[in-house]
Amino acid sequence: MKAITPKTSLLTLDQARANSTLKITSISGGWGVRQNLNEVGLHVGDSIRILRKAPFGGPLMVVNHGTKVAVGRRLAAKIKVEVLR
Amino acid sequence: MKVVLVGQPNSGKSTLFNAVAGYRSLTSNFAGTTVEYTHGKARVDGETIDLIDLPGLYSLNSANPAGVSSREFLLRNDWDVLINVVDASQLARSLELTIELLDLQAPLILCLNMMDEAARKGIVIDAKALAVALGVPVREAIAGRGQGVVETFRAAKGLYRRRPFAPPVPLCYPPELEASIEKLAYELREIRVASSGDQDTGPVLLPIDSRPSGTGVDHVVAPPTAETAGQALFPPPRFEALQLLRGDPNLLTQLGPKKAGAVRHAQAEITRHFNQPPDTVISSARHAASLNLFELVARVTRPRSDWREQADRLIMHPVLGYVFLGIVFLGFFHLVFDLGKIGETRLMTLFDSGIALLGQSLGEHSMRFALAKGALLGTAGAIANVLPYLVPFLIGLALLEDAGYLARVGYLMDAAMHRLGLHGTAMLPVLLGYGCSVPAVLATRILPSRRDRFVAACLAVLVPCSARMTVIFALVGFYLGANYALGIYALNLAIVAVAGYILTKIWPEISPGMLMEVPPYHRPSLRVVLLKTWWRLREFVIIAAPLLIAGSALLGAIEFLGWERFINTLLSPLTTLLGLPPAVGLTLVFGVLRKELSLLMLMQALGTTQVATVLTTGQILIFTLFVTFYLPCLATLATLAREIGWKLTAVASAALFVLAMVISLTARGLLHFLV
Repeated sequence: MKAITPKTSLLTLDQARANSTLKITSISGGWGVRQNLNEVGLHVGDSIRILRKAPFGGPLMVVNHGTKVAVGRRLAAKIKVEVLR
Repeated sequence: MKVVLVGQPNSGKSTLFNAVAGYRSLTSNFAGTTVEYTHGKARVDGETIDLIDLPGLYSLNSANPAGVSSREFLLRNDWDVLINVVDASQLARSLELTIELLDLQAPLILCLNMMDEAARKGIVIDAKALAVALGVPVREAIAGRGQGVVETFRAAKGLYRRRPFAPPVPLCYPPELEASIEKLAYELREIRVASSGDQDTGPVLLPIDSRPSGTGVDHVVAPPTAETAGQALFPPPRFEALQLLRGDPNLLTQLGPKKAGAVRHAQAEITRHFNQPPDTVISSARHAASLNLFELVARVTRPRSDWREQADRLIMHPVLGYVFLGIVFLGFFHLVFDLGKIGETRLMTLFDSGIALLGQSLGEHSMRFALAKGALLGTAGAIANVLPYLVPFLIGLALLEDAGYLARVGYLMDAAMHRLGLHGTAMLPVLLGYGCSVPAVLATRILPSRRDRFVAACLAVLVPCSARMTVIFALVGFYLGANYALGIYALNLAIVAVAGYILTKIWPEISPGMLMEVPPYHRPSLRVVLLKTWWRLREFVIIAAPLLIAGSALLGAIEFLGWERFINTLLSPLTTLLGLPPAVGLTLVFGVLRKELSLLMLMQALGTTQVATVLTTGQILIFTLFVTFYLPCLATLATLAREIGWKLTAVASAALFVLAMVISLTARGLLHFLV
């Protein structure tokens, strides 16, 4: 397994557009944040799609392997992504 | 035989539980926590099984309290068979927990639940292949329709009967990682066998104080001795090694020096090799392993298209979603209040005639009658004033929850609720507060953190409940006009916002934001809805109702003995300060019992139903403002105490009282200048 370096991607999940398909490149944040994200099925290397973003700075809804997850903006800012489509 | 159900949230674990265990099941808290689990008895093929339903968890190695408590429970080893309930439509992700459970080397059954949902998504699972790959029995089920439930428990019984059983084969990780894990497991085993009495013994994953002492307690893990250590150690060293490697950094500080050293060394080794933190390496490996396993045993064909895929386009639409939300809640509230009103009127008539009957048989002027009348009034308060609203409320809440709509409400309202320092999910308890504070406070349970529960409970109590609404409309609305009543509402809303802001300043939000699985919609199961309603209702019946009845009887006696003068005198500093006649004192005490009683008692105390002939409009306004805010009713106080503890309840009540004083005195001052 190779370490994934986030050099090429400066985008965080909250900055990505709705309906875009993304790959999680890294998660900045402590043990707790990584653990919580892993628990709802979000891992480094996963391909996810943003289904929609709630208005007024509300959460994002992403879909990963058929599971829908609501992610708050502040938490989304800790997830670095690479735009696939 | 003790069977434990483990599974991720929304895996239908509780549905499986409810399909066999019934209304006599109990919810308890894990010692020293607010984490709840359900336990009960089930009969399968004429044999009684003790059934334990752990809270939904994604991993035993979790940062959240449910995970920690469940791990501690499993490590105490006071159970016989584990049933891992899995949402078959989420198989790939669900297998991560299964793989973790395999390392416990304990009797395990995998129950593939929601097979219908999986079929709808086009997922075809080869259960036999999965059973072979994991080395554990696999059963398919649709627990919501009762299919496969008995078969699952039969499999558990079969496994139990065939003891000692062959432990499942743990899953292998990539070789470099596997080497570090096995090395650490070996070291941990050596340390456990060699040392005795110091911190290095015993399953370290349990908090130090709750570790089994080995004396007098049944069923707990005996500390390993040289004789037993050769064979099965529980928890297996490999499980311990994985948990520690991946675990909470705080866990390391609880270890003895030798163990901590070994773990740190292994962690450093993994970090050096993979250039990533050990927890990321292990969860990525486990994730990859579950995906591989999934590809081995499942095929994904075209999903059947379904209205549910389209429903979210409307329900979570940035504009229409809120319109829909408004309609749903308006409908919900109307239904509850209209039903409640009918029930309340009918039941009150019944109780009134009961009291009249009581007066005839006991004699109007006796202590016995005063006590009995008080007790009956209290019972009426619980049954006629609260239950007609509470029951439809709780049924509606359970319906919305079970159908999957509540999670969507949380998503839609998150941005707005963050202004109040709360997650979107907290919108519901606060809204419920407009109905009755008791279910509102009970509903704060759906929130994950203690802090959120506290803040939401405080805000929910601040919102005027229907009883306070009655007082506001009957007094201010009637005598001062609808605009004043609306003004009180606006003031209340502003205070809720300010209170949310202040509470957030005192006790900041700790969580980095919302993170919640949004479950697919499904048809609510009647059984689950009714059981949920009953469990929540039981809290009210057990805690609040007895207090209401006893308090009412006491007040009846006070009235009979003519002690209300003492109470009025006692409260005269308060009433004088507010500029109210002293006779109002007792009504404030009654108001604590039930808010709408303060209205009835006001008329009784003043000896007239024409309040305006005795009180000035200013006094009416001040009285209403004070009653709206000063203290929640007794039923609410008892529920609050149960949910957030007596200490915080006392603090919140004191704060409310001060708030009520400030508002009433400000109003008095303003009126003085204006009028």
